[in-house]
Amino acid sequence: MIRGKIKFILAIGIIATTLTYLVYGGVRDTMVYYLTVGELKSRVPSIYKDKVRVSGTVVPGSIRRGIDGSLEFKITDGKQAIDVQYRGIVPDIFRDNVEAVVEGLYTPENVFQARVLLAKCPTKYDPANQSNKGKNT
Amino acid sequence: MADTGSICVFLAFVISVYTLIASIFGGKTRRSEFIKSAENGAIAVCFLLTIASASLIYALLTRDFSLKYVALNTSRDLSTIYTITAFWAGQAGSLLLWSWILSIYMTLVVVQNRRKSRELMPYVIGTLAAISSFFIYIVGFVESPFERLTNVVDDGRGLNPLLQNPYMAIHPLCLYMGYVGVSVPFAFGMGALISGRLGDEWIRNSRKWTILAWTFLGAGLLLGARWAYLELGWGGYWAWDPVENAALMPWLTGTAFLHSVMVQEKKGMLKKWNMSLIIITFFLAVLGTFITRSGIISSVHSFSQSDIGSYFLSFIGLILVFSFGMFILRLDGLKSENRFDSILSRESAFLFNNLVFLGAAFSVFLGTIFPIVSEAVRGEKILVGPPYFNRVNVPMGLILILLMGVGPLISWRRASKENLMKNFLYPGILGVLTAVVLLFLGIREVAALISFGLCAFVGATIFTEFYRGARVRAKRGEYYLVALLHLISRNRRRYGGYIVHIGVILIVIGITASSAFVVQKEATLNRGEVMRIGGYSLRFDGIRQYTDNAKDITAATLTLYNSENKPIGVLTSEKVLYKYEGNREIDNQTEVALRSTFRDDIYVIFTNFYGKGRASFRVLINPMVSWIWAGGLVLVLGALVIMWPSASERKEESAVRYNVKIPEQSGAKV
Repeated sequence: MIRGKIKFILAIGIIATTLTYLVYGGVRDTMVYYLTVGELKSRVPSIYKDKVRVSGTVVPGSIRRGIDGSLEFKITDGKQAIDVQYRGIVPDIFRDNVEAVVEGLYTPENVFQARVLLAKCPTKYDPANQSNKGKNT
Repeated sequence: MADTGSICVFLAFVISVYTLIASIFGGKTRRSEFIKSAENGAIAVCFLLTIASASLIYALLTRDFSLKYVALNTSRDLSTIYTITAFWAGQAGSLLLWSWILSIYMTLVVVQNRRKSRELMPYVIGTLAAISSFFIYIVGFVESPFERLTNVVDDGRGLNPLLQNPYMAIHPLCLYMGYVGVSVPFAFGMGALISGRLGDEWIRNSRKWTILAWTFLGAGLLLGARWAYLELGWGGYWAWDPVENAALMPWLTGTAFLHSVMVQEKKGMLKKWNMSLIIITFFLAVLGTFITRSGIISSVHSFSQSDIGSYFLSFIGLILVFSFGMFILRLDGLKSENRFDSILSRESAFLFNNLVFLGAAFSVFLGTIFPIVSEAVRGEKILVGPPYFNRVNVPMGLILILLMGVGPLISWRRASKENLMKNFLYPGILGVLTAVVLLFLGIREVAALISFGLCAFVGATIFTEFYRGARVRAKRGEYYLVALLHLISRNRRRYGGYIVHIGVILIVIGITASSAFVVQKEATLNRGEVMRIGGYSLRFDGIRQYTDNAKDITAATLTLYNSENKPIGVLTSEKVLYKYEGNREIDNQTEVALRSTFRDDIYVIFTNFYGKGRASFRVLINPMVSWIWAGGLVLVLGALVIMWPSASERKEESAVRYNVKIPEQSGAKV
């Protein structure tokens, strides 16, 4: 009977350890800082090496679409602004003055290279599932 | 009409509170007139909320723009069907829907149990009335869909075009039926705790409700995934978005609960575990509603106006404190009647299945609330993205598939060597063979190989079960097909469960193939130019622009050729510009083109155009996505088999009625 119990404890222990390892490793390797434009600027230069997610409002008139499907624009927190470059699917609601969320790297040239571009639903619309998103998968 | 609605909601609140008090009082003092009155109260709440809901639908259909809710969610050009579904497009309407569904369930529970579980029922009704009082309070006093505007507008702002999709019309409904459905087994659990009748009565009487809620949640998740796949246009169906996770978590713990109650019914074990599981599942269901409605976590939606957050948090806190408080009070009564004999037994397979499900739910929970926790602890918002969820949940999922094959066939108590050999030798060999063959065919993804191997293993175990059962009947002279049908109908729970498992295997195959072997390519093409992707060729045939009464449409057409250069279809992806000003903020939308077969989906996103002769596309070949939807249908079918009332149950029910009536009659005769 004792031997039986030990087997159970061992098995449960293995599950728990595996889970902890997966969760811990997963968090460590995939975590992303979520910053405003001002916070991003204040963390230069240490932020250059980290993957970050930044939110800000799209500066009106700053959107330029390249012939090859690339996209350049500026986002701001009202005080400071950064340049963003992106290639990929542009969310349908992306436009001037919309709240955009970009994920990627801030390069030493002070251009944000975004791999993900999301646009926040700017309205009272509150879909019961997720809203518009553009993703690089 | 709107006044009727708000008056009904107000009355429903008063009666709901009365129902709560009367049922608890009736239960404590055992005065049946109070219990009876509470049961009638529950029915009255349902009646009133039905009128309230009808009057909201009426207001929507007649475009009563004096109501804020109608003005915000509809417009004059909206089609009738989406005008009705605007009922649950906004927060206030969704909460009314929640309350309404709950009141319908409550009425059904009352009617079903008129002559059953008399000890339990007062507290079951009491719990349901407490939950419904909370939601009706929110609908009536905090977020009312019947709120008036000070100045009436000419036209409303319209329904978000993204929500104008058949799947979106039913997906929230399905999900809510699931979320709300979880309250019924939870209420039975609370009934058991409060009344002290801690046997498996509460589990038996709420079993079908558990399956109902679980099925709705699962179907809701799949419908939401399908909607995202068709409408959001980024090529996938699942993004580990907080709102998706919110629905996944109660489904995971609910699945654990569905399995572990079998151990309690059969062996009288895991009583504490089951009680905790249903509490956690209900907690996650309310939390899911909260996350979905308040947008507290999601970075992609933020709703500034919502002040229901604090109400929900208090309610969730109250649920946890009360239910776990009762749980601790009753710990003595929840002692196990048996113990685990061997690690190689069905009960331990179920135990491990439960641990893994709970572990998966916990990891999803942690990932979802990580931004809030990190902000509270470190003052920094840190997100964990889809890679986190995949890394944790793929191994968990693989273990679960393995257990899905082992659990139903391994014997209770202690599996003998013969039992293991008889049931698992050939399926095991088949699973390994499948993986090896696929390896030789050139598949190098380890997770995919394991997943396909396990699916073959589980499929084989289920096939053997059906085959053995049908063969026994066939030997008695039945045709195989008839034998199979009889087999299923004689033991619906078991074979329905197997059918659900088949559905899950199909879903797993679809998920594995479509996430491991997706191919994508971007290209800018001139008219007549061809792009090649994964054995297919696509020729860009040009752009057509036209207008219908609601929108301007720019459509790009491509012809699809297979590897032998035969044309096999025409694909049209559109960019849609909505004319109506109310939709200004989301006024354009990309409709993807999709050609779906069981082999693969060709998914074309029209990204940009430059005049009529040149356009950019992103094309994805998503293998076997259709298997996911097909698996969903099989899963629902299996659940229907389980829930279908069986002959023996009807007999049982009539026997109960018979017993109740006879003494009265014979008494009268004497």
